[in-house]
Amino acid sequence: MAIYVLRRVVTSIGLLFLSSVLIFVVLRLIPGDPTITKLGGGMTAVDPRAFQALRHQLGLDRSLTHQYVHWIGGVLRGDFGQSYFSQFPVTTLIKERAGSTLELAAAALFIGLLLSVPAATIGAIWRNRYFDAVLSGFTAVGMSTPAFVNGLVLIVIFGVKLKLLPTQGYVSFQNHPLESLKTVILPAVTLAIAIAAPIMLILRSSLADVASAPYIRTAQGKGLLRYQVVLRHVLPNATIPALTMIGVIIGSLLGGSVIVEYVFARPGLGSLMVDAIYQRDYAVLQTLVLLAAGVFIISSLLIDLLYGVLDPRLRVRGQEA
Amino acid sequence: MTATALSAEGITRRGRRGETVLRVLRRPTAALAAIVVFLILAGAIAAPLIAPYPPSQFDYTHLFASPSWAHPFGTDELGRDLVTRVLYGGRTSLEMAALATLIAMVFGSIWGFAAAFKKGWIGEVLMRIADLTLGMPVILLGLVLVAAFGSSIFSLVVILGILFSPATARLARSALLSELESDYYLAATSVGASPWRIVFEQLLPNTMPVLLARGSIVAADAIFIEASLSFLGLGVQPPKASWGTLLHVGYADLYSSYWYPLFPGLIIVIAVLALNTLGDNLQRALDPSRR
Repeated sequence: MAIYVLRRVVTSIGLLFLSSVLIFVVLRLIPGDPTITKLGGGMTAVDPRAFQALRHQLGLDRSLTHQYVHWIGGVLRGDFGQSYFSQFPVTTLIKERAGSTLELAAAALFIGLLLSVPAATIGAIWRNRYFDAVLSGFTAVGMSTPAFVNGLVLIVIFGVKLKLLPTQGYVSFQNHPLESLKTVILPAVTLAIAIAAPIMLILRSSLADVASAPYIRTAQGKGLLRYQVVLRHVLPNATIPALTMIGVIIGSLLGGSVIVEYVFARPGLGSLMVDAIYQRDYAVLQTLVLLAAGVFIISSLLIDLLYGVLDPRLRVRGQEA
Repeated sequence: MTATALSAEGITRRGRRGETVLRVLRRPTAALAAIVVFLILAGAIAAPLIAPYPPSQFDYTHLFASPSWAHPFGTDELGRDLVTRVLYGGRTSLEMAALATLIAMVFGSIWGFAAAFKKGWIGEVLMRIADLTLGMPVILLGLVLVAAFGSSIFSLVVILGILFSPATARLARSALLSELESDYYLAATSVGASPWRIVFEQLLPNTMPVLLARGSIVAADAIFIEASLSFLGLGVQPPKASWGTLLHVGYADLYSSYWYPLFPGLIIVIAVLALNTLGDNLQRALDPSRR
């Protein structure tokens, strides 16, 4: 077990290192120089002295290796450098925006699970052909609808037509809890639809897999009602394979928040990323992407380890390997 | 004797798979999806013939007109007919998706085939790279690549092609591995057929249906991601317009004329849904393990 854990941790650290190198190198391929944008390039001739001074100040005149070591050294100390554009420390920018994205992600996860888990469970208990078809249809349409289309439809119905809910901006929960929740509803439902579809897909197939296992027939044989079988035996066992989905869900939350924040003009990490791309601010961009990769790699590590705790068979296999 | 047996085996396998494809199309959902895909393709190809207005006919007396008989989808900020713009936008979106799919299929197949043939550390490394990129959310990778390579049509197509290669590589590898275990492959190698001949005459035709089914899904994903990038203003740039670009521009006036972004959005959903459904049905029919 200890060897298994150690190996997974070491691989994850290796992956993180590899991602950081990859992100750094790919973003250095950007044609042109970020300082030109900063100095209003394209429109007017840039003063070569100002150009050199800014490059020196941002450390862009050093070698790539030096820049990388400087960046990673900072990251390890919790210092993400400063924005090429606004000159603010990247840490400050991220801290300002993180609350909004976390609120959105948490609300979306809650609503998404509320939509998908009961529906899939009812489908497994009820076994109605038409209800199944509705669920399949919802999953297929949900997987094929980009978040910006869902978001636009919701804005039109609840913002433009019914004028029920705010469609733009972000209100901090600490200052105005009620306003904050009202503002997050539409973005969260949009993102929830995007994550509910894949959750439903996996959960339904793992429910079906478990339902055909021999021990389920035993449970039925001893005279349990179907809802008892599903709730006590099928669902708990079907949740374990569905856990792998958490990685995919976290990925969808990260990726989806970029789109959803743009649709609802919500200042968050996703919109910070889009702004950084517009401004070629790769100090901010590389940190955000590394953060996303980090969240992703660490969460899949934790799930793998959790898996070992929940499913004893894997522990044994881990020892053998 | 072995040579004839060999080709006979190849033919029956191919024949059976051709029938499977036809049988799939007899299912109502799959047939409907195929018809929708065909209509959307036909609409994009025949845009210059069937579009009700010339693509750049401005009408300053009808800016942001709401849907009417003359303009079923309304008009845009310059009074251009939106049905026309959606038809022409489809050309851009579908052209890019088709090229990206081609890149993903060719590059991904070579990648996966190489991993299947070279089973040692080379294959291992090739698949590890695929797994690494498969884990990350596609839209984030897409944003990083757009930041690095810009958003010209050319770089967007290449970026989309690269994004969807790893998934294809994985599929191509498993498809080829199962072919490599089959008797006819053993027969072909034992009569001394050259590796290239086996690849082109046997392995490629036999893995092709699975890859084509996958292609339908890749095309759907490519339309989806291109639209997402364009919606963020980081994809196809005006005056060229894909469906996503129309959404991006129309979104600015969402509160006064919501139909402008809504119709291109609905078309994207219909196209993606149809391609996904078609690919899914084909995959399920061709892959016995998923039946």
